[in-house]
Order: sequence, then structure tokens, then C-alpha cells
Amino acid sequence: MFLKLDSISSYYGNTKILREVSFEVPEGSCLCVLGRNGVGKTTLLKTIMGLMDKTTGRIELHGNDINSKRTDERAKFGIGYIPQGRQILSKFTVRENIMLGTFARKDVVKEVPEICVDLFPYLKDNLDRKAGLLSGGQQQQLAIARALAVDPQILLLDEPTEGIQPNIVTEIGETLQMLNKKLGITVILTEQHIKMARKLGDNFIMMDNGKIEASGPIMELTDEVVEKHMTV
Amino acid sequence: MLASIVNPLILGISIGSILLISALGLAVIYGAAGVINMAHGEFIMLGAYSTYTLQSTMGMPFLLCIPCAFFIVGIIGFVIERNLICYLYNRPLDTLLATWGVSLVLMQSSRLIFGSDVKYIAMPEFLSTNLELGILNFSTFRLFLIAVALILLFITWFIFYRTRLGIKIRAVTQNKEMAASFGINAAQVYSITFAFGAGLAGAAGAMFGALSIVLPTMGMHYVVEAFLMVVTGGGSILGTVFASTLAGEIQSIFAFIFNDTMARGLLFILIVVLLRFRPQGLLSTGSGRR
Repeated sequence: MFLKLDSISSYYGNTKILREVSFEVPEGSCLCVLGRNGVGKTTLLKTIMGLMDKTTGRIELHGNDINSKRTDERAKFGIGYIPQGRQILSKFTVRENIMLGTFARKDVVKEVPEICVDLFPYLKDNLDRKAGLLSGGQQQQLAIARALAVDPQILLLDEPTEGIQPNIVTEIGETLQMLNKKLGITVILTEQHIKMARKLGDNFIMMDNGKIEASGPIMELTDEVVEKHMTV
Repeated sequence: MLASIVNPLILGISIGSILLISALGLAVIYGAAGVINMAHGEFIMLGAYSTYTLQSTMGMPFLLCIPCAFFIVGIIGFVIERNLICYLYNRPLDTLLATWGVSLVLMQSSRLIFGSDVKYIAMPEFLSTNLELGILNFSTFRLFLIAVALILLFITWFIFYRTRLGIKIRAVTQNKEMAASFGINAAQVYSITFAFGAGLAGAAGAMFGALSIVLPTMGMHYVVEAFLMVVTGGGSILGTVFASTLAGEIQSIFAFIFNDTMARGLLFILIVVLLRFRPQGLLSTGSGRR
């Protein structure tokens, strides 16, 4: 198994957010994490990255227990993180943002990796632009490019389509599908759009109140399941 | 007539470069690591004593003492960061108190080791001459100060904007969590930054020891002005450069019109008035840290 979480609980201060979450992600698959706002989807990804105050349980990546490792050490196992709100460094240029991703690589590269700019022509033409000046969709592309600069084995995407104009949503969806299916990069994706989840996902987990309420192959993500856990 | 206008302006730049040399290390540590380092003046003092010791025991030439003071105080800064400051990030008030404590310990230790009498640093011959260029007349040491300020500034710029370490430092400053998520060890970056800032103070100490005298309490004099420059500049390195040059010129012009004491007084009043109406400083990025 590529990534395995074993009864993971995690905390902000003393407040328990995730409650004994366990699941497995096979290599090269795409897992969609679903649920309403505030059920712990973002926390789940932050927990894998080691950005929570305290986490108990076991997180295994390629057979290594990474839960005892610092965030920067985890990144070097080949995790590309695309956080909620994108978190582009706005004072950096596009080039510097992408170069930031290369610090998690094992090899030292001096230039922007080709894949990052080949996928997003806009970034290629604007490498020396301040990233803070980019539009939301462009920043999202930059966030994906930055994560790809890691040369990742797994991508963690936190609502990549949130607040982005529809034509770019389709584009990002196609890019992710290509990365997952053609390049074999394992993907964990939190999503509000059920359509997107059905298109990209191999498996899903449905979360509520910090726990997994339902899970399985994406075929089992029926309208009843969605209705039960996601309507407000 | 022309000389009486140009000479104060050149003097102003040299005052500005003194201010910049004393404030640069503080700006680096505050700007990149967010630590208000109350021991900055004592780092300057340690730089002066390092130079004095190297000179009086080994007879090291003054120009070589400057980089040595940089490394010695840099190492001291590194040890202090690893053993004390690194536990106090994100707790500004605690770092303030802790670094103040460090400053007292350093001051008393140097008093115990070196005694509280005045020490002097010998300067090479060519720095204690006067240079006359037509109608202009200035001391070579003043010019040397300007050169050192520019060199230290260039080294800082180069490290921050032209090296991988610089990208790491600036990434950690902007967003520590994101930097860590892309493989940057923030704790290590903070240590190196703190050591570098301390080293800059050490180099400053070598200069100031030669400029005036070496005393265990000499740091207090420089730290006040250093803080003023960083605050007036808005906390960034560029702002500090700007504030130092401007303050140097203003002080020199006032000194030309009135006298030295009056000039310093007026400068401080100007800074207070400026901060009353522009508390964020001259150049402010306007964004909160972390």
C-alpha cells in the first residue's frame, strides 16, 4: 500500500479535529475526500503534511512511518502539497515560487523544471512576474506547478477548483487527470463538486465531524450517499 | 562656497553609513526572523573586543580583523540562537526579555574578562590621513566607512537575492508553513539568519571600535540609533538603508547650520514626529508577518 493512515487523530491546540481516521491509498490511484464545510477535509491534508499542533496514530508512506517526521522532512518523501487558498508567496516571482518547490527534491536543479511550464503556457511567458499580481486561476496553476517541481509521487490538493472560473476548472480537471492517469502520480483531492469527484476519483471517503462516514470505490458514491452527507 | 555645501553632504553620507552599519544586522534579524534583538549592541561590543584581542595578542592587521570579527560574533550568535532564541519564536515579548538578559550577561562577562577601562584599536596609517580633492577635504576613514557599508550591504543583498539560501530565508519570512511544506527546514534557516545578523554586528563593532573607543558599555550607544533606523525604515532592509542615509544627511545639514548636539536632538524630534504620523515607517510593505 502506498499511503496508509492508521487511527489518526489530530488537534488544534487541545481541540480534537480528526477522530481515529484510517484509510489506505493504492499507488497511482486518485482518492476524493468529500464532505460539507468544516468536517475536517483540510485538516486531513494538513495532518498528512505535519502542519497540525499534535497528531496521534500512524501515517505510512511507502513503508516509512512519517508521523514522527517534521514537515520539511515529509515533503522530501515526494509529497506535493497544493493548499487551500493556494498560498502562493505573493512577493516572489512566478519563477521563485516554482523554485521553492524544488527544495523538496533529492537532486539540485537550477532551472524551472520543464513539466511545470509545459503544462501551463501562461506561467512560461510570465516567469518574472510578481505572483501576487496573478488572477485566482493563474495562482492555482502556479500552485500546481510548484507542487510538480517537487517531482512528487503523491499530490495533495485542497479544493483546487474553489473560487475559479468554470473554463479554468475544466482545464485544471484535465491536467489532474493527465498527471494521475498518464504519469501515475497518486492523488488525494478534497472536493465540493461531486461532478469533478466522479470524473477524477477512483475511490472516495465521505467525512463528517472529523470521522469517515462512508468510503469505497467511486461507483458507490450514489446520489443517496451524497444526499445524506452533503446537503445542508 | 561650493566646498561648504558639498563637504557636509559627504559627511552626511558617512554618518548615514555608520547608522547603516550599526542597523543592518538588526534589520536582517528582525526582518527575516521577527526577533527584536536587544543584545544587538552587545554583539557590536563583542565585535570590537574581538578586534582588540586579535590585534593586541596576534598583531592581526585591522582590515583582516573585520571579517574575523564577523565570524567570531556570528558563531556566538549561532550558539545563542540554538540554545535560547530558537525556543522563543512566535513569542515576541519573551524574546525581548531573553535577548535583554543576554545583553546584560555579555556586557558583564566582557567587563570581567577585559576590565572596564577603555581599550583602543589601532588603525592602519592610510586610514588616518586626510584626502584633498581640489576644494573637497575629507578623512579617508570616513570614505572607508562608506565603502564598508556598501560592501556589507552588497553581501547581504547577494545572499538574500542571489543564492538558494536567500530564497529559503525569504520564503520562511513570507510563509513558514508553506516553506516547510516544500522541504525547507525553518529552524535551520532562522539559525543561519540570526548568525548572519550577529556577524554583521560583529563587523560593525570592529569599525566602531576603531572609530572611537572600546568599552563594555559601548553597545548601548549604537543600539538606540540602530533601533531608530530599523523602526523609521519600516522594518525592512531597504527601508533601513533609506532611513540611515536620510538621517545621516539631515543630521549633517543641521550640524552645519547649528551644532552637533542640536543636530542629534532635532533629528530625534523629526523621527518622533514622523512616527506619530507614519507609525509603519518610511517604507512599509503593509502586510502582517506570518
